[in-house]
Amino acid sequence: MKKVFVVEKEDNVGTAVGEPIRAGETVGTEGRERDLTVVARADIPYGHKIALRDIPKGAQVTKYGLSIGSALADIRAGDHVHVHNVESNRGRGDKAARSAG
Amino acid sequence: MTEFMGYVRADGSVGARNHLLILSATVYANKVAEKVAGLVHGSVAITHPLGRCQVRPDLRMTRRFLSNTGMNPNVGAVVIVDHFREEGMTAEDIAHDIQSATGKPVATVNIRGDGGMIAALEKALHYAASYTRELSDLRREAVPLSKLLFGTECGTSDTTSGLASNPATGICSDLIIAAGGRSILAECTEWMGCEAWLTSRAATPQIAAQIVAGVQHLEQRALASGEDIRGSQPTGDNMVGGLTTIEEKSMGAVKKGGSAPVVGYLDIAERPASDAPGLYVMYGPGHGAESISSMAAAGCQVLVFSTGGGHTSSHPIMPTIKVTGNAQSFQLMQDTVELDVSGVLRGEITLEEAGKLIFDEVIAVASGRLTKSEALLDDNSFAIHRVGVSI
Repeated sequence: MKKVFVVEKEDNVGTAVGEPIRAGETVGTEGRERDLTVVARADIPYGHKIALRDIPKGAQVTKYGLSIGSALADIRAGDHVHVHNVESNRGRGDKAARSAG
Repeated sequence: MTEFMGYVRADGSVGARNHLLILSATVYANKVAEKVAGLVHGSVAITHPLGRCQVRPDLRMTRRFLSNTGMNPNVGAVVIVDHFREEGMTAEDIAHDIQSATGKPVATVNIRGDGGMIAALEKALHYAASYTRELSDLRREAVPLSKLLFGTECGTSDTTSGLASNPATGICSDLIIAAGGRSILAECTEWMGCEAWLTSRAATPQIAAQIVAGVQHLEQRALASGEDIRGSQPTGDNMVGGLTTIEEKSMGAVKKGGSAPVVGYLDIAERPASDAPGLYVMYGPGHGAESISSMAAAGCQVLVFSTGGGHTSSHPIMPTIKVTGNAQSFQLMQDTVELDVSGVLRGEITLEEAGKLIFDEVIAVASGRLTKSEALLDDNSFAIHRVGVSI
């Protein structure tokens, strides 16, 4: 079984660090969380993240045991987690420019 | 109690090396410094393109880098080579800084003042040959880890850095601090987006405020040059690689500083005033050579350089241990990279075990084991931070 790497037990995403993962594959976990399995709902390229649990819209996406941003939409376990469904909680120059303009 | 074997200096600090430093004060003395180092056993030259035609704040920065590098406990004695005199940063000024802070032997030569290049070279060789014999009498002694100031850096980062080599380096840092030592986390452009995690660990509200102000200051400097760091992070390449937000990118970098309390805030290349164990955060850019040189100037005796793509970085007087979480990079670069912790990602070793591997390497190198770069006489990472234009 292909595995994704989970830094901290409380993380709700894992990172693909081996072969790329194809939609429909069952994926296990490595790192500080070794007991989870999840079915990929999308292709997950090397270095990209997969949701390990459902993450409701507005909830925090957690990696390193810390928030790396908020879910822009309801994310389901197995989804690809990236810029299309996660937003930074920090100031972003492009947003500042848009609101100023 | 964990110890390392080091050279105990007059000021109580302890060197992991016993270098005779041949320090060039100005670009025009570089070659003389290199010739001396090439002719005298146990000596190493530090050269740079600065020391002339700098605005005052920039010249003071150059002096701080040079003087504080001379104060590093890995240096047993210093010969400073100058070409003429730059008001506010003469060889005598630098010698005074080093001597008054550490009491170590320091000599100066001046190419013009001593009658030209050949005469200055001869004089410098006499000093250097005498100092290197004096230093050869020193023996390593067992000292506690409270005498260790450990530096952390990352460069040529990839997906494996934030997941394996950086967190493992952070665990090494935590082990050093738990044993009474101190660590430095620099590269404050990379704190952007996870200031809250650092400030939550700050020992005082003042340190927390300094962390936030430091990031803002570097960001404003970049903005003034037309570069919006925050607006451009993560970069397009980062996103293709899978990094989603600036928080995620920064945490991957800041993880190399571990999870210990932040007990001090340092300006770039500043020596910690306190011996208190803990993490010290240092203002400064992500530029690898400037960053590791600022930590050598602060007094770090050993630094771990965490790299994804592999790296050659090595400071002239501060052993620079390279660690990667990328098995392919290790295969390609194993003549300069010490440790491969890619087993973390394959589930073969835990992050804790990887951290302990790094810790053991740090203690061995602090006690005299050569780094792979030292074995090849490769040093390439001395650089001085600029705060002004050349005039």
